[in-house]
Amino acid sequence: MTALLVRRVIRLLVVCLGVSLVTFSILHASGDPVSLVMPEAPEADRVVLRQALGLDDPLAIQFLRFFGNVATGNFGNSFFHRTPALPLVLERMPATLTLTVLAMALALAVAVPVGIYSAVRRNSLVDHVATVVVFLGQSMPVFWTGIMLILLFAVQWRVLPVSGWESWSAVVLPAITLGTFSAPLLLRIVRSSMLEVVHLDYVRTARAKGVSEWVVILRHALKNAALPLVTVAGLQFGLLLGGAVITESVFAVPGVGRLIVSSIRQLDFPVVQAAVFFLAMIIVAVNFVVDMLYIYLNPQIRVR
Amino acid sequence: MKRAFVMVLALAILATAAVSAPGQSKDTLTVALVSIIDTLDPHMHFERVGILININMFDSLLHKNAKLEYEPSLATSWKALSDTVWEVKLRKGVKFHNGDTMTAEDVKYSFDRVTEPGKEKKRSPQYGNIRAIKEVRIVNPDTIHIVTDKPFPLLLERLVFFPIVPKQHIEKVGDQAFGESATVGTGPWKLLEYKRGHHIRLEAFDQHWRGKPAFKHLTIRGIPEVATQVAELKTGGVDIIRNVSADLVPDLKAHPQTSISSAPILRTHYVHLDMRTEPFNRKLVRQAANYAIDREAIVQKMMAGLGRVVPTVVHPAVFGYDASVTPYAYDPKKAQALLAQAGYPNGVDITLHSSFVEFRPVFEAITQMLTDVGIRTNARMWDPGPAWNKYFQGEGKATHGYYGSWGYYSVFDADAILHPLYHTEPGGWVGKWYIRVEGLDQLVDQARSTVDQAVRKRTYSQIQRLIKEEAPSIFLFHQFDTLGVSKRVEYQARGDEWLWLFDARPKR
Repeated sequence: MTALLVRRVIRLLVVCLGVSLVTFSILHASGDPVSLVMPEAPEADRVVLRQALGLDDPLAIQFLRFFGNVATGNFGNSFFHRTPALPLVLERMPATLTLTVLAMALALAVAVPVGIYSAVRRNSLVDHVATVVVFLGQSMPVFWTGIMLILLFAVQWRVLPVSGWESWSAVVLPAITLGTFSAPLLLRIVRSSMLEVVHLDYVRTARAKGVSEWVVILRHALKNAALPLVTVAGLQFGLLLGGAVITESVFAVPGVGRLIVSSIRQLDFPVVQAAVFFLAMIIVAVNFVVDMLYIYLNPQIRVR
Repeated sequence: MKRAFVMVLALAILATAAVSAPGQSKDTLTVALVSIIDTLDPHMHFERVGILININMFDSLLHKNAKLEYEPSLATSWKALSDTVWEVKLRKGVKFHNGDTMTAEDVKYSFDRVTEPGKEKKRSPQYGNIRAIKEVRIVNPDTIHIVTDKPFPLLLERLVFFPIVPKQHIEKVGDQAFGESATVGTGPWKLLEYKRGHHIRLEAFDQHWRGKPAFKHLTIRGIPEVATQVAELKTGGVDIIRNVSADLVPDLKAHPQTSISSAPILRTHYVHLDMRTEPFNRKLVRQAANYAIDREAIVQKMMAGLGRVVPTVVHPAVFGYDASVTPYAYDPKKAQALLAQAGYPNGVDITLHSSFVEFRPVFEAITQMLTDVGIRTNARMWDPGPAWNKYFQGEGKATHGYYGSWGYYSVFDADAILHPLYHTEPGGWVGKWYIRVEGLDQLVDQARSTVDQAVRKRTYSQIQRLIKEEAPSIFLFHQFDTLGVSKRVEYQARGDEWLWLFDARPKR
């Protein structure tokens, strides 16, 4: 168990190194931030700023400096805002995580019961409706879903605010938007993995023993069917963080996604690096949790 | 199982029904911007949205009214004592939001804060705007002298946006706190709450020397998506939105809750031509390109009429504009003839670039019109980041030219576009890569080194005739700033793109 933990932590560090290397290279290949910080300023002023930000140094030096700083928890100052990048990212984390976790919860709350029902009552009306809805849900881009929900709930029926983050009511539409993105895949996974196990011998045995149908499905079948669900849900969490970028823009949510978008536009390297680094850490952490859940659900893995 | 499903569904419906959209309080004015600045320190940023917010919290020495005429603000009068010294009388008894009285010390401090040498790392991005100011001298508590290092004809323009900040207060709380929570100015609104990246709440400042604005509260919200801004406007979540594009105009005009307010602004569109390489190293081809574009059709059909054709890049509203210079006519036949005369009877293939995303359809129309007369144009769109590398930096590598616009930094003087775009000195902007017009540099320098406005006007006339003939760019049009305004608010868009919300009042 300890060895597994250590391996996981090492993997986490390697991933973080890789992520920062990739972010660093891509961003620095994409242009000069100074021109975007002060677009209508004369060249002489821009030279001064470029020196002040250390952009005149060779790329290797810039990367070493960046990495040395990151190791001490310092992501440098935002080029654009001239304040430390890390606090800018951290103060936006709660909104993004709230949104992502709620969306995930919503997606699971729909996907698991409907998925189980569809599997157990195969070819029933619910199963068919679910198939169609899954198809629709997967084909809608996140921003489109968002705008449609705004038109329906906020402009037409006026039951929810259009955008913002002041009240819990403002969280509902973005969470549904993001959840809609995730629910279809989870639903399909639940349905197909349930279908696989409901006909296995041990389920039949349980039924034959006279165990009630509910217990058979929830305790015996679902526990085994949950393995693929946990894997996919973990992966989905990363995708949701990505989807949050767009959702945050549509609903004016003050989250990390919006910060990343505007920072990329301004080529604000330190902020993008700090934000991507943190999101990568979260994804790695979620994967870690998934691994642990796996072990709980399937003790065989521990032996291997 | 069925029961669980029904319960989840019921819960979801309940959750949506239990809450309702918050109503708008009557004395609050809400404005949407695409983003909210990350510091409220008015000297520490350079962005349009920052300026829009700060002008409502801070006063400058001079103000421009809705007709864009100079008006006294913190200065009650100003005059030039010589080519390089201006005397400015200060308004008496002006209060900062914390109750302190504004003095000549504060004014001097504000300028020193930006121009003081040796603070390279912390230097304000607005330094370039006012670096011609060598010194601010306090003559007596109500009078200052502004000394420039050489004649600086743009001084008054620059003073219209140069916020005055409180010296003692900043020294006490520090720069950081001043930009985040303890922001204090003399402007019509004072800070209530600032949530970085999300919103700013302001309250009318009781002791402002102008009196009180018509709305007691002002909320500025950052909403990046245009579709969301429009939805907020229609439902009363916000009262004013900016940069309404032509395709949204009919919709907002027809809606019962919203209206449109538009004003011509300085943003001028052009296609910069690369005079170093074929075919635009030939004057006849550059002229042909100018004859090939139906500017009027683009403005009317693609921009909903929200624009005006300009003869050169010099805007009709700025100092130095010469109305006797007329725009190139739309004459595709003449364009073809000129192209043949220049040695391209079978046409020529070129590439044009742009990163002006909002005007992509216009860019495509231009490239099509050029193609129609034989200047077969390959259109390339870029993200702003890579675009800087591609044609503003290094050697201005983009081939043949690019479509872009220039906002004059809201300075109403021909220098504000001629110097950055066409001057070829190393300190210039893009001119050094693209422009090869004999004698143009000298003329631009001549016009900026005197405060004799008659001489400057003559020089600018000469420049406009010269650049029309030489055609270093395809001259296009200037655009309008279009606001979407709620029917419950009365507010008129301004020619300088400012949102001067002191002028906003409730309707009904």
